[in-house]
Amino acid sequence: MASAPIAPYNSSPLGNSSSPNASRESLKMEPLADVAMLPGEERVIDKDIIYICPFNAAVKGKVFITNYRLYFKNTDSETPVTLDVPLGVISRVEKMGGASSRGENSYGLEIICKDMRNLRFALKQEGHSRRDIFEIIFKYAFPLSHGMQLFAFLSQEKYEENGWNVYEPMEEYRRQVLPNSEWRVTFINKNYELCDTYPTILVVPFKATDEDLRRVAAFRSRCRIPVLSWFHKENHAVITRCSQPLVGMSGKRNKDDERYLDLIREANGTTKLTIYDARPNVNAVANKATGGGYEGDDAYQNAELVFLDIHNIHVMRESLKKLKDIVYPNVEESHWLSSLESTHWLEHIKLVLSGAIQVADKVSSGSSVVVHCSDGWDRTAQLTSLAMLMLDSYYRTLRGFQVLLEKEWISFGHKFASRIGHGDKNHADQDRSPIFLQFIDCVWQMTKQFPTAFEFNERLLVVILDHLYSCRFGTFLYNCESARDSNNVRGKTVSLWAFVNSDTSLYINPFYTPESSRVLYPVASMRHLELWVTYYIRWNPRILHQSPVEQRYKELLALRDQYLKKLEELQLSDSTHLTNSSTPNTATPNQHITHLQTPF
Amino acid sequence: MFSGKQTKPTFKSYLPPLQTDLKKSPQLPIKKLEAKLLPGEIVVNESNFVRKCIGAESCQDDLWGKLVCTNFKVSFIAHNSLAQQRFQCTHRLLGEHDIPLACVEQVVTVNDVKGKQKILGSNQKLKFNPTELILYCKDFRIIRFRFDEAGPESAKKVCLAIAHYSHPADPQLLFGFEYVGKRYHGSTGERVNGVDPGGGLQTPLFDCSSDWDREIKRTGASEWRVCTVNQGYFISPSLPEFFVVPVSLADQDLKQYACCFYSQRIPLWCWNHSSGSALVRMSNISDPQQQRKVEQRISSAITKSHPLRSDVFKSDLDKNLPNIQDIQTALLKLRQICVIDSFEESEEKWLSSLESSRWMEYVRTFLRHAVEVVYMLESRHVSVILLEKEDRDLSCVISCLVQLMCDPHCRSLHGFQGLIQKEWVMAGHRFLDRCNHLKKNDKEESPVFLLFLDCVWQLWNQYPAAFEFTEVYLTVLGDSLWVPVFSTFLFNCPRQRAEHSRDFASSKSIHLGQDQALCFPPVWDWSQQFSLKDQTLFNNPLYVGKIATCVQNGTVKTFTHRRSKKNYSSTLRGLPSALRNGSLGPNDTLSRRNSLVLRLRSDLSQVREQQETPSERFVRDFFSRPVDLQGLLLPQLLPSHLSVWKLYFLRWVPEAQIPQGGPITAFHKLSVLTDEIEMLQNQLRQYQGAAGTPNNLHTEHSKMYFKATSTPHQPPAPPEYLSSSFPFSPVGNLCRPGVLGTPLSKLLNGAKIWLSTETLANETI
Repeated sequence: MASAPIAPYNSSPLGNSSSPNASRESLKMEPLADVAMLPGEERVIDKDIIYICPFNAAVKGKVFITNYRLYFKNTDSETPVTLDVPLGVISRVEKMGGASSRGENSYGLEIICKDMRNLRFALKQEGHSRRDIFEIIFKYAFPLSHGMQLFAFLSQEKYEENGWNVYEPMEEYRRQVLPNSEWRVTFINKNYELCDTYPTILVVPFKATDEDLRRVAAFRSRCRIPVLSWFHKENHAVITRCSQPLVGMSGKRNKDDERYLDLIREANGTTKLTIYDARPNVNAVANKATGGGYEGDDAYQNAELVFLDIHNIHVMRESLKKLKDIVYPNVEESHWLSSLESTHWLEHIKLVLSGAIQVADKVSSGSSVVVHCSDGWDRTAQLTSLAMLMLDSYYRTLRGFQVLLEKEWISFGHKFASRIGHGDKNHADQDRSPIFLQFIDCVWQMTKQFPTAFEFNERLLVVILDHLYSCRFGTFLYNCESARDSNNVRGKTVSLWAFVNSDTSLYINPFYTPESSRVLYPVASMRHLELWVTYYIRWNPRILHQSPVEQRYKELLALRDQYLKKLEELQLSDSTHLTNSSTPNTATPNQHITHLQTPF
Repeated sequence: MFSGKQTKPTFKSYLPPLQTDLKKSPQLPIKKLEAKLLPGEIVVNESNFVRKCIGAESCQDDLWGKLVCTNFKVSFIAHNSLAQQRFQCTHRLLGEHDIPLACVEQVVTVNDVKGKQKILGSNQKLKFNPTELILYCKDFRIIRFRFDEAGPESAKKVCLAIAHYSHPADPQLLFGFEYVGKRYHGSTGERVNGVDPGGGLQTPLFDCSSDWDREIKRTGASEWRVCTVNQGYFISPSLPEFFVVPVSLADQDLKQYACCFYSQRIPLWCWNHSSGSALVRMSNISDPQQQRKVEQRISSAITKSHPLRSDVFKSDLDKNLPNIQDIQTALLKLRQICVIDSFEESEEKWLSSLESSRWMEYVRTFLRHAVEVVYMLESRHVSVILLEKEDRDLSCVISCLVQLMCDPHCRSLHGFQGLIQKEWVMAGHRFLDRCNHLKKNDKEESPVFLLFLDCVWQLWNQYPAAFEFTEVYLTVLGDSLWVPVFSTFLFNCPRQRAEHSRDFASSKSIHLGQDQALCFPPVWDWSQQFSLKDQTLFNNPLYVGKIATCVQNGTVKTFTHRRSKKNYSSTLRGLPSALRNGSLGPNDTLSRRNSLVLRLRSDLSQVREQQETPSERFVRDFFSRPVDLQGLLLPQLLPSHLSVWKLYFLRWVPEAQIPQGGPITAFHKLSVLTDEIEMLQNQLRQYQGAAGTPNNLHTEHSKMYFKATSTPHQPPAPPEYLSSSFPFSPVGNLCRPGVLGTPLSKLLNGAKIWLSTETLANETI
């Protein structure tokens, strides 16, 4: 029932609703064809062009390039055809055909996007007509490669709420009843001196001194020491996260690290600390060659090590590439299921989810855990944040989810800049990988299995992913807090949450039923995991986007409220009538009620 | 949830466990275990101290009790109910642990000490004493009993009895006959089994000419008439006594043409489109010499009945659709991967195994074919003849799907039931053979009806608000095939029903009185199986009925939403151009990363000529418009948009169960809200002056299973007993050895070795 498709977002995925007063300010700027430009957005070039739509035919029209977006509008038909693509989603721009290419529409541009679509434009072959537009797109889509700023720093958008205040680390730790007698807050990293990819505020075992932390940092890759992510209020078990130990080929040991992990274990009297190494066993072994490795049995006697078999960023990148091949532009029809299987995308989702389930289960049974992978910023972030989503219903609210992303992903240094490649022309960069998309997909899978457990809806997830690439907001820019600080992201850009929270009604799941103490265990089985078609296949016009159950529920809610109001009115008039006359029923309510027939 | 002992709701037990203190009562009194028998039901054999396996991991949850074989069911009467049990939803004909014999697909006996096993058929011998009995059921359940403490002789006997009685030699040995026959022995007028033959039932059975008349009127088929030439089944053995033909064909013509058709099946009218186009089903013409002439006559008669005198389009189903054996093979493969293969081992290859079962492909093929037919009726305004050799299998599916897509009446509960009466029961779908109740001819067995239900489910899943019923209804309807009591599913055709019931009556000296035949209850008399309360599980709270479109008043908008005429980004909806989707072949997409100058197919102009077919265009146009749930509905046919019907196929699989999750949790909220609205409506009606309406009207007549609470603005949390399997439960219904209890432990322990005796079960030893 709840598996019904949800309303379309494809018609305008990046809600152009800039705040009204802002658009008034920019009155001097003419609107871009038929959409309002964002405050700070500037027009760069217009050009007659042919859009070669993969679903239909070539469409004649005009393309407008601004410093934020590519906008296309057709001129050849009354049926409007538009494209509204933030330049940030562009992964790569190529020329296709040459001046001497034969055939209609063989000369033009090819734009490969990060959001599961490609765009092709054709131009007149005469007079190097594509040169200027190619160069402009190339320049504005990859501003960092051209010594320019990302649009987020140019945007003049204003919102009532300052989205940067959504996450206050101390407030969030206090919500978790921290600090306490077992865990303390340390400011040792306030100048990013302990670890330049961690946030400034860290929570560590009460008994661990700052000196201990420094010594442990020496033994953990990139100094990412085990720190607390989440604290179980009842059983005091914790989720801690870190990077791999620097064991190396020689199997080095570090007494401080061993003692430190034991302090984590002791804090709530866990008998055996479970260390979840997200990697496949062989990868962990292979990492020894580069100085990394995993916690050996003899060194960490009070701990057990579990490998979760989740593959690395390169495998995930290739998997998504294969997925794109079978869904864009056309859905592979003849062997859909086996093609889907051969992308392994759902299998990876399954491994990530089942890893998180194990973490959550261990913690809810009272045992503390340590989660790491190699550097502790990709798979580790996926596992801790998903486990927290399962364990803590706060993160399943609209606000809480924002906090979760800010905390586990942004502040703990998931390398968004490297993984997404914001404003960078190097599309083949081996650091790029859809790790965050994969996490959002896992969240979506959970919302499918528990349609009443999340306060937010699918639309929020799509909007987050759209602005992961758009560079309109500062939220996902840069690799870590220290880089964000030195570039004054908070001061100079708007947070995505300011935009989202300016109209929360769009993102509320009407089925949401708050249940504070419930732990969600999704079933991580291929039987239940589904391809998120409303995201991955949303550009296909042959996809049905309608009859949302969500919408119907909202209508019923409105109907209920209307009845309640009517009933109140009647009761009121009734009591008046009872005092004034002996006939309680008048004609007026009768007439009203006959309109209120429903199908029930 | 996974820590500590998990409390397991069991089959048909939906209440959270009782507090353990309640169980502190001293020793349970020794109960006398008696099978609950229905009228006409007799005990054949029984064995005491039998253990029913509940969890495969350990036997600590297993139940002790008595295993009984009757002429209707395999019954297990437990000493102790599964701890913490209370049953909310009970089947009126079957107990908690009962399996109708007709549902038993295979009886396997095992002696694990001697390492022997045998599949038992009718009248067979068993040379060893069974320690274990495994029943493979047609509804995908696998039930296991252990005889460790039972008397070896009685265990053997009960196994043999089950094997024997699940292979009835004659249709009249199906339990329905005894059951229904009993009512004629009661005092006159008394309804022994509470059978209410049609009376008070709003579903037309189409066994009388007035039902057909009404259908003709309803669809405006004025050029069609009810014909009675087959009264007494004198013309065709497989046609009903009443059916509809073009007015231009006289009875005389019909009689003449009848002999040309397979089994003398005169073409049957199914339905009229509002444009006047008719949907007709026809069997092959057996006489090749006559073929052209007869075909022409029939076609011209149909043309004459069309207000526009439009042509007739023939749709050859045998050529375009899988045959019944294909369908059967697909279901067996699907069953293999759903319930027989080890869950964990089949995970990795689940999608490709699903594909190689071809079940989903067939579902899609049938839906697509129905869409083609809809296109002819809806867009080309021509009448369509569905042509199938016997006209008794594939036509039933296609004809129903076409009507479901076009006619909102068929999406109401009674409309849907009438549709099945019309296109399956009366048109002579061989339910008896396809269900293989007699287990005589495996080649005839085929789940055509289940395939149809799956197709309906796909439509339902894409447009849940367009149907009055729920997926629970569809599932329960599918299960009812295996309760051999209902007129609906017991026979191959109306004539067979009449003959068998006459024979049976005379052999039992039953005086039928005014009845022509024994009055088997139709499955539509749902009170036979479920209480009124439980039947509310069939009501879809989302349903947008006809009146709903009138609820437009202030803040409440119509339920059919007009898409704003905004621009569609890149989607290009409604573009006049008629290019096929494939202008970019997979080979010239951008996967070649290193070629700087990407070649574009230079022949776009040619592509443009490669027109999409008119029916594709029809579908595309449909999806470019807002959908009217009370109008035409076409399914999304991309394979990425069809799903596995999990409630039906995976409900018994413990590892696939989502505790406190699944679509049912949203359904629960909808149901509660709808109930609240109903309540408010009743209150408003009272103000309207409906004096005499008692205050408690609501509670009696509420259509919703989940009721609003007294504090409506504090919506209740989903009850703990809800799961993705609700209202079914895997506990004790799928006993694959080697399966661990919880999904989590499966994950933690990885693949389990399959120690199954079942894997061998298909090879008779």
